Amino acid sequence: MLWIALELPALPLQVAQRAGASREPLVISEGPEQRPIVVCANEAAQSTGVREGQAVAAAKALAINLRVLARDPAVEREALERLAAWGGQFTPMSCVDGQGISLEIEATLKLFSGHARLSSAIRTGIRDLGFQATLGIAPTPLAARLFARAEANGLQVRGCLDLATLRERMAELPLFLLDWPGKTLAHLTDLGVVRMRDMLDLPAEGVSRRFGPEIAIYLGRLMGTIADPRVPYSPPPRFRARLELPAEADGVDALLFPLRRMLVEMEGTLRGRGAGVQQLVLWLEHGRKLRTRMDLEFATPERESDFILSIAREKLGRLALPAATIALDLRADALLSYVARESTWLPGAKEQAIGRERLVQRLCARLGRDRIFGIVIGDDHRPERQGGSHAIFDRGRDNAGTRDSAGKLPCLAPGRPVWLLNRPRKLVNQDNFCLIAGPERIESGWWDGTEVRRDYYLAANARGETFWIFREHRGEQGWYMHGVFA
Amino acid sequence: MKASVAQLAQLPGVWRGGELEHAAQPVVSTGHAILDRELPGGGWPTGTLTEVLHDAAGIGEVSFLAGALARASAGDRLIAWISPPHLPYAPALAAAGISLDRCLVVRPANRDDSLWAAEQALRSGACGAVLFWLPSDEYAWLRRLQMAAEAGRAMAVLFRSTAAQRLSTPAHLRVVLSREEGALEVRIPKRRGPPLDCPIRLQVGRSLPLASASTTNIRPRALVAVG
Repeated sequence: MLWIALELPALPLQVAQRAGASREPLVISEGPEQRPIVVCANEAAQSTGVREGQAVAAAKALAINLRVLARDPAVEREALERLAAWGGQFTPMSCVDGQGISLEIEATLKLFSGHARLSSAIRTGIRDLGFQATLGIAPTPLAARLFARAEANGLQVRGCLDLATLRERMAELPLFLLDWPGKTLAHLTDLGVVRMRDMLDLPAEGVSRRFGPEIAIYLGRLMGTIADPRVPYSPPPRFRARLELPAEADGVDALLFPLRRMLVEMEGTLRGRGAGVQQLVLWLEHGRKLRTRMDLEFATPERESDFILSIAREKLGRLALPAATIALDLRADALLSYVARESTWLPGAKEQAIGRERLVQRLCARLGRDRIFGIVIGDDHRPERQGGSHAIFDRGRDNAGTRDSAGKLPCLAPGRPVWLLNRPRKLVNQDNFCLIAGPERIESGWWDGTEVRRDYYLAANARGETFWIFREHRGEQGWYMHGVFA
Repeated sequence: MKASVAQLAQLPGVWRGGELEHAAQPVVSTGHAILDRELPGGGWPTGTLTEVLHDAAGIGEVSFLAGALARASAGDRLIAWISPPHLPYAPALAAAGISLDRCLVVRPANRDDSLWAAEQALRSGACGAVLFWLPSDEYAWLRRLQMAAEAGRAMAVLFRSTAAQRLSTPAHLRVVLSREEGALEVRIPKRRGPPLDCPIRLQVGRSLPLASASTTNIRPRALVAVG
């Protein structure tokens, strides 16, 4: 077994600042309402002398315009769970653990070509999500957590890949990194036991007798002598993420950065599940129950954040927002199975098809679906029904229908114009035209009430422009122009 | 280190003023041998912006490219029609051998969207040919489209009125069309080579050139005035 532990120091602050760091002093408070205590303070607050453990009242005296947010353990827990779901792309064994997540990576080491590559991929990924995390790697989850905490406290430690060297690697680490009860730690300090080496040198029965069996069991799990099974986190079958912006965002550009973080998180989560999304709803919250809905739909399940962001950018650019945005809420209620696309050096037919789909989706996102068409041959002799358009977006990958119509090619009459007018234009004075070819009688449609009986001619005017005109013998009789031989 | 003129002429993008460029630019044959002869590389260029100038509608300004379009769509790539004046009529395209399920008609609401759509289509690399009817005369935008065409290696054809003749263009090829004596007259005021002095005439327009079906049911009745 090999574990990677991610530790998120100052988690409450990180959760509050994820959509962008605040330059104003900001602290997270906890404790009774009468006397709240500072749990975390951002850099701006620390530079004014605010420290963790201070009373909020004292901190307010130090920093003018101090923003105080109450700690919300539920939000922190949710953030960690989503992080664990994101970690599912690296290994199926991903779980929430303390102030971070633990991943068991031995089984997937080969897939990610070694622990060095894997841990650098995880570090980059975490940064893209907008979190800061320290990383520890060890054969047991507790030891990995210990290393991650040591790094968070600024201690230089090297990861450990096998049990034999574990004891030696952790020998110099201070005991306070372990999340043991304060009383136990104080007791040990009184005994002069402050480093891991001293602790591990104590006889096991003595430890169990003096500090309780749970400490002995903890040590056993830490050193890998006692099994430490974990339950992998299983995310719900949908994706939801909400992000509050650090300041009111007026334009759309300011939303793209936080949106990207959410989409990156979604991509990781979807990767872990082998899933993609076809429909996404993004709510832009403006405060006072005012919000704007934006729908994103794709022809096939998608999950690549860059692609989704490019579509969202076009859509957002078209939105007229009623007010400044204060939060983003992204929801995907149906996760569909995703067909992985392998990339190749030489793009072939499959890549072409993807390129086509993406182009159509991008155009639809900005222009609207009713402005993109494909063209088809209708099964009718009336020209206005024989040539037609259809919405291309809903067709997806299935274009068998149009193939059928292409099969009817041989029975087409010749001499058809490139442009067909939307509706025939009545000719006031047909003397300007000379008829070149025709007539071709088209008589059809008696069954549906729009019967036509027309004689079609090719006609040219003095400038040499050639048109397709007809003489209608039913209904409103007369001469009409129907096409242009462009 | 002095390179001789003959050596210089071997460089890509360098050609003598009196000759056509012979560089290995990918081209698509138009199906008209007489026109292909006058085009550098022996066909309609791809990967660069080209302009077709015409004033009259219905002289065969689209159909003279039908052969090239049919070939451009052959590689499973799209043919994008951006803001065409009318809907392309499916039976005519099918008769010309253009694959219908590769055709994409885009009708944006305004000028900016048209330009954007043209640029996206060109840049995507998914299009074998992009035909656009744009109201813009801005050189900067044409230059952008030229860059996009280079990136996407598509056949990019801009249809404009002949009033644009006096404006300069970043396009590598400019063709002016008119109808003379029942034939399509093609002049080439700009190409990579000397301008074409005497215009060439193509027989197109009545039916698309690749149409293979017979014309038995149409009897020509020349010059009959209808009263």
